[in-house]
Amino acid sequence: MPLPRPARFRTHRTLTRGATLAVVAGLLTSCASPAGTRTVPADATPVDGGVLNVSISAEPGCLDGHGISATQQQFLGRLIYDNVVTLDDDGEIAPYLAESWDISEDGKTYTFHLKKDVTFSDGSPWNATVFQQNLEHMRDPATKSPLAAAYIAPYVDGTVIDDHTFEAHLEYAYTPFLYTLAQSWLGMNSGKAITESPETLCQNPVGSGPYVLEDYQPGQSISYAKREGYAWAPEWLGGTGEAHLDGVEVTVVAEPVIRYQSLVSGQYGLTENLAPQNAAAVQADPAFTYENLPRTGSPYVLGFNLNREPFSDPAVREAFAAAVDTEAVTESLGFGTYTPIDSYLSKESKYYDPSAEGTLAHDPERANQLLDDAGWDSRDAEGFRTRDGERLTVEVPTVEASAPSPLLVQLQGEVRKVGIELEIIQLPQAQLTELRYAGDYDALAGVWHTNTTDVLFIRYHSSEITGERIGQNSSYVNDPELDEILLRARGAADGPDAAEAYSQAQHRLTDLVPGLPLYENPSQFAYSNSVQGVATDTSHPVPVLTYAWLAQ
Amino acid sequence: MTGISVPGSIGKAVRPDAVARRIALRLVVGVGVLWGAATLTFLAVYLIPGDTALLILGGPDARPTPEAIDRVRQDYLLNEPLAIQYLHYLGGLLQGDLGQSYRLRIPVTEAIGQQIGSTAQLAGAAALLALPLTFAVALASAQRRPWIRSLVSGVEVVCAATPTFVIGFVLLMVFSFSLHWFPIGGNQGPASLVLPALTLALAVFGPLSQVLRNELDDVLEQAFVLTARARGMRDAQVRVRHALRHAVIPVLTMSGFLIAALLGGSVIVETLFSRQGVGSLALASVYEKDLPVIIGVVLLSAAVYVVVNLAVDLLYTLIDPRVVTA
Repeated sequence: MPLPRPARFRTHRTLTRGATLAVVAGLLTSCASPAGTRTVPADATPVDGGVLNVSISAEPGCLDGHGISATQQQFLGRLIYDNVVTLDDDGEIAPYLAESWDISEDGKTYTFHLKKDVTFSDGSPWNATVFQQNLEHMRDPATKSPLAAAYIAPYVDGTVIDDHTFEAHLEYAYTPFLYTLAQSWLGMNSGKAITESPETLCQNPVGSGPYVLEDYQPGQSISYAKREGYAWAPEWLGGTGEAHLDGVEVTVVAEPVIRYQSLVSGQYGLTENLAPQNAAAVQADPAFTYENLPRTGSPYVLGFNLNREPFSDPAVREAFAAAVDTEAVTESLGFGTYTPIDSYLSKESKYYDPSAEGTLAHDPERANQLLDDAGWDSRDAEGFRTRDGERLTVEVPTVEASAPSPLLVQLQGEVRKVGIELEIIQLPQAQLTELRYAGDYDALAGVWHTNTTDVLFIRYHSSEITGERIGQNSSYVNDPELDEILLRARGAADGPDAAEAYSQAQHRLTDLVPGLPLYENPSQFAYSNSVQGVATDTSHPVPVLTYAWLAQ
Repeated sequence: MTGISVPGSIGKAVRPDAVARRIALRLVVGVGVLWGAATLTFLAVYLIPGDTALLILGGPDARPTPEAIDRVRQDYLLNEPLAIQYLHYLGGLLQGDLGQSYRLRIPVTEAIGQQIGSTAQLAGAAALLALPLTFAVALASAQRRPWIRSLVSGVEVVCAATPTFVIGFVLLMVFSFSLHWFPIGGNQGPASLVLPALTLALAVFGPLSQVLRNELDDVLEQAFVLTARARGMRDAQVRVRHALRHAVIPVLTMSGFLIAALLGGSVIVETLFSRQGVGSLALASVYEKDLPVIIGVVLLSAAVYVVVNLAVDLLYTLIDPRVVTA
């Protein structure tokens, strides 16, 4: 899953400005918690009522999960949508709007047995036809889906067997199908709304979830009310029936330091995004709970472009990776809250293989040796390495901001030590997008969160190189051996075969060095201890408020 | 300015037909300004490099299908030549149709309509704070002892020179973070309006007060003021009834600045205080290259300018009838 543009923009900018402001704020304010926040015993009985005020860093501008790719949808989607399936506490596929399902031997036919007596907030029922309508809505070009449509791409068509039995036909065996159906972006919309007014779903989405949209002020706030009669939460949430809260009021608070201050002042009970620079203060305060959870999928990686010089040479890729002290860079960037990683898959992901770790260790001497051997053994007047009179330069475009990305600035300093010039090119978002799809760069920093290990296919299979179709293999990895492994992994049912294939893929990637892994992609949120019953799911580690409640 | 105005002559002899002609002319110019603003913004945004369709579909971190990309290009005429896109856009404008927001997927008029009330509230409250403050400070400090003037002038310079973001942040730290008197941003209730409006008011107050005081200093040296004093008028009366009327014209001329400062400042203030409004809408739209909304906001600002300038023009004629005959 993509990091949305505004959020990334902000992350980079605020690491400098926000940090300064936070320091200033810290000097001038006592940061004392307001009276009234206190620890509630863990076994306390939930209390009904009250509205939880939540601050959020940005909102998608459209609330129909099928039509967006914004990170915030992970949290927002859980409020109004239910999904066909869910991932339980162990990360296994579990029933939700489908009670059970059968998968054919060849992995191409899925028969879903749907839950009965589920209704959407407009009163319309959930059934096999609605499921089909949702899949069609996701891939309807008019929905302008940046994400959901690609996740269900192998879906060919479906048959409504009876009211509560739906058969989905896939083009090929695609085990990630169920996983993606559990993601927030693929929540189920009301079939009635899809038929009658699909164009209003962005501003007025209709789901069957624990809350109902009451009011939406784009860019400002989203108000939700408890869904009366809700009774079909997934089992892992440990509750039944309606939400405890009367409602949830979500307000966009763009500035990190304001999000932090308004959390500690009690104006908001929960913030969906607490900036790293404020983590220590909140962690130290017993009146608050701070969560720092890695998102599954691809961690933060500086992806190399294997398609052109200098990263077409494996020696340069290895040297670059060995030149960077990832732990030091990560420590300073995340104020100690980021977890450094040296693999291409998040440690939280299914089939993560620790035996593929450790081969990307910081070793400047080795970096120098590799570059010398690769012919980059002369130095120019500024001390950069050259070969045949040409300087060893790496162009890294990034979105323009008031200050260059602190990550890239740090990497620049690290590789300078072994004589590599890293040139940071700041561009407007639109131009960056175009350049990204044209492959006109040497390296790009990015993440991709998804709840299936198929992320490795999305990032590194040659069919995902942008051509006719937009793909996320921005490293232009085109390795027949890896392709074969990833295709096999994608078709393998969950179990030892999949585990083995994904292990091979991780090892192959460590050999190929398609980028420099940096740190886990974290979900960092915090809430007052007067807010109880906050759950997180294993698809997206964001707060789930279905059975949250406010201690009186 | 030559000669000395005789206070008694002001306010008479405004010919209605001359005023009507003046308004008509102003309106024609105003329409031209709007057309120019629409065209320039359209071209400026068009010339930003990058593929708008891909940007609409999630930017660099998304996986849109080819069908979705085609659909976006069709829906927003992105495959058409510039001239066609422009004519289509102008045609829509004439019918009051500003197009569809790429990001929010609702009509631009609706997107701006949702936000305009909040910004009007903010700007109105800021103006209500700034103008009385300006007049009070300038009237009280003009032609006073040097140390008073230096002190007031210093405050004005600080207000004018400090970035709005910093003013707002200091106010937040003192009154919200520390004293907890006001909420930390948001749109909830009158209390949430105080700090944003004060922030914006202080930014406007500085320059306005400087200009007004300098004018008052000049006017208070004029002979008719001496005459008025000689007739035994009290100082406050002289300042308010005679000097102010003359000194206020340059301040009126600065209303353009006032509007710019209020609209421009609202972008920063709304973001800092997490307020709804046209400013935060504009900022989000620029990030996302949401062309229709950007043009809509520019047109709105241009329209406000045109209306304010027209109003100021009429005020001139009321305050000083020579403007019409000149």
